Amino acid sequence: MRRRHFLKVAATSATGAVLFAGCGRIGDGVPESEFKIAQPVFNTNDWVYGRDAWFATAAPPDQGGYGLIVRVFEGRAKKVDGNPDFPGIHGKSDARAQALVQELYHPDRLSGARRATSRGSGQFQTIPWDSALQEVAQILREVGGEHAVLITGRLNASQAAIVAAFRKATGIRHAVLEPDEFVVLRTAIRRLFGVSTLPIPDLANARFLLNFSADFLHGWIAPVALAHAYGEFRQGKPGQRGLYYHVGPRLSGTAANADRWFPIIPGSEGLVALAIAQVLSTEGKAPQDRLDPYLTALGLDVTRLASDYAPERVAPATGLSAEQIRELAHALVEHQPAVVIAGTSAAAATNGLFNLVATFGLNWILGSVNQPGGLLLNPEPPLPDLRVPDDAILSLRGWTELFEQIRSGTISTVLVYRANPVYALPSASGAREALQAAKHVVSFSPFLDETTTLADLVLPDQAWLEQWGLSVPDPGPGFAAVAIQQPVVAPFLDARAFGDVLLDLLRLLGQDQPWSTQEQATKALALQLRSLGRGSVTATNDKEFLVTLQARGGWWDEQSRATGSAPSTTAVQPREPAFAGEQNQFPYVLHPYPLPSLGYGELAHLPWLQGLPEPISTNVWQTWIEVSQATADELRLHTGDLVRVLTPQGVAELPVYVNPATQPGIIAIPFGQGHTAYTRYAEGRGVNPATLVAPETEPDTGTFAWAATRCRIEKTGRRARLARFEGMVPAFQLEEFPIVRVMAPKA
Amino acid sequence: MRYVRLILFVLIVLVVMAVPLALVLARSYFLAPTAQPVKAQPIQFPHSVHVQAVGLDCTYCHRNATTSAQATLPPLELCMQCHKIIPTQGRPELEKLVAAFQQGQPILWNKVHQLPDHSHFVHSVHLSFGFQCSTCHGDVGAMGKPGVKQVRDLRMGDCITCHQQNGARTDCSVCHY
Repeated sequence: MRRRHFLKVAATSATGAVLFAGCGRIGDGVPESEFKIAQPVFNTNDWVYGRDAWFATAAPPDQGGYGLIVRVFEGRAKKVDGNPDFPGIHGKSDARAQALVQELYHPDRLSGARRATSRGSGQFQTIPWDSALQEVAQILREVGGEHAVLITGRLNASQAAIVAAFRKATGIRHAVLEPDEFVVLRTAIRRLFGVSTLPIPDLANARFLLNFSADFLHGWIAPVALAHAYGEFRQGKPGQRGLYYHVGPRLSGTAANADRWFPIIPGSEGLVALAIAQVLSTEGKAPQDRLDPYLTALGLDVTRLASDYAPERVAPATGLSAEQIRELAHALVEHQPAVVIAGTSAAAATNGLFNLVATFGLNWILGSVNQPGGLLLNPEPPLPDLRVPDDAILSLRGWTELFEQIRSGTISTVLVYRANPVYALPSASGAREALQAAKHVVSFSPFLDETTTLADLVLPDQAWLEQWGLSVPDPGPGFAAVAIQQPVVAPFLDARAFGDVLLDLLRLLGQDQPWSTQEQATKALALQLRSLGRGSVTATNDKEFLVTLQARGGWWDEQSRATGSAPSTTAVQPREPAFAGEQNQFPYVLHPYPLPSLGYGELAHLPWLQGLPEPISTNVWQTWIEVSQATADELRLHTGDLVRVLTPQGVAELPVYVNPATQPGIIAIPFGQGHTAYTRYAEGRGVNPATLVAPETEPDTGTFAWAATRCRIEKTGRRARLARFEGMVPAFQLEEFPIVRVMAPKA
Repeated sequence: MRYVRLILFVLIVLVVMAVPLALVLARSYFLAPTAQPVKAQPIQFPHSVHVQAVGLDCTYCHRNATTSAQATLPPLELCMQCHKIIPTQGRPELEKLVAAFQQGQPILWNKVHQLPDHSHFVHSVHLSFGFQCSTCHGDVGAMGKPGVKQVRDLRMGDCITCHQQNGARTDCSVCHY
């Protein structure tokens, strides 16, 4: 390049970049209403003293539904925290709850009902709410409930009651989309312990935790309650530090907290558990009455357990040595009370159900079920109306069948509420094609996600902090608990609560409305709790009950506990994991994992969570692959190199993060990115691993086995910058100053 | 000649680099919070009449400034304690106030001073240390119309500089808690 050209290019690019960056103003995209301040007519409570007001409410059901409090001033929600009164969480919350204010004030939240200019174009025009409601009612009247399906994410209890009433009145089918690992977990717990609610380990009172792959500190089923209990487990009892062993294929943030990490071959958790049971049985450390439920659940007898699952026999398939397996078994009996949990990738293998039954079943052998320091089962919700029906929760197999019915025209109308099957399910499910083929698609999403983009009509839901509701935490704290959700700010966009819309539709269809609004449903159901005559809230009249309930943030009854029952039939047969792709073509196992911040991608629209570093790599805002040092040396890869990841299902180009703690033979990739819509913060960022993994299923449950695909990687010769904290700034010595000021007590 | 060309090249490079630098600085200057105009207010409220002519103290209306985190706007009922006996005829701005009170409608003002939600600013601490309202808000008492711009930057650098100059703590948890 000649000097003149260099100068031209430098000047043009630098000036262009600056001008481009200068196009825009501070606060662009922020709704104008956020810069308003209301001067009230009369003095409001929080203005009398000029102090912030704290309102109690509840976390969304897919975050656990536990109690929250929100700091509000001048009508603006400022900060979310855990409700200190609410059982199990001790006033704690997590980043996902903190980011609820970003959902509330998100610049891309939908306001006003709207109709698509043409299906799938992503272009909508605003229409009056009354017209939109009339149009949906007319659709339901024409096609009939039997030809329509309502797809939702996990609902809170009062929404579930409204949906149940809507379902009963219209005959519409209800399908719930939640991550398949929880479908496997619920199935395992139901077959193993006879309860439909999720259990919670009593970590605070345990002395030993054996965890098979569950990322319980940063995600999984109850990260807030379990992270607090983990603190008690480690440091809550003077002189007695709980011992934690982690068995799993990847060193997650949770695994990094363990005293010892036992790296295993993906999907071999169940085999390790069986070998542990074998050791306990042959060494006489498992009483027969405790061993029986375990053997029944797995369809085994003592002889077969002893012969087929001896550590020496199982070890090669697990990646551990026989001695390590014995060590695990001995630790379980030497440090009592002990508790065993399993989840995340253990549930996402082709033998996921077996993995969970074999691992959780160890609690029967240890006598840990419903014991202090063991696995606490949770009771059913205190009112039948508050229960989310299990039969509505579909696995990948169920979704594929449903979408086939939509494509064939058996079901012509799809209503979608806070669920994004087009993104969350693998393309083999046919979600996109089904929605494109459906006659009518109506979305109630507050954001324009991939599924909502395919809708004809959008009736946006309110933000979570603007709504009424009752929430039954799942898992609960070991006894019956209900959190009440109340609006902490006045709704400021033209959106309507999903429950209100369903009840309006019932009115327009000429059906009886059990309640007129979601608020009324919430209060009526809450008053049913009063009629039980027990629990933490006592009041002499209904008003006092509701006021106390709202002030405390919930109702709980420590006497109401689950008993559970031992399995009487076989829950699942032992099974080894299988992987899509030939080993000679695809030498590595692709190991996806949900991010602590973004989960499976449902929270990718919140920038605080996008910017929250992944605990091990500290990467943010993108997708990368974790490669072991040995693999990197073999392929001459460095952090930041762009590689092509090839699986039997697809190809993607991703930057490499070399992690010395990654097992050779495993390529780890986080879920969360790869959205083609879903607001400015998520769209066009990274890769969705669901497009790379083969649509393998767990045969017993039909769930998506996303940890069962092999891959290979090829160098591209190009590099990309990884946005991360680790190693980006050279370490430097701070000036000497007292970080913690030590104050001597006064004499 | 060779050196002349080299010097010329260096000069040209410097000029080329100066252009984007100047643009960056210009952007920072023109898009600073103090340069952002606020939208028109619903009532052309004259602080000067209340402060200079009538002699009210700031805290007569913003009652919590000396005792609490928030200074707070006065409710309309406080305004009406005086304005119920002050004729509104010929005073269109005053008519808006009375109409809002009679109709029970809050007045929606456009905020002039913006602080992000994740930072706590406690008015009472700053006033008890001896600062005047005008340190941050400017001479509001002399304004015949509502302010249209922030008078101070009020971004983190501004806060930290002031804390350092006055010997206040500057660790994160002072403001972010």
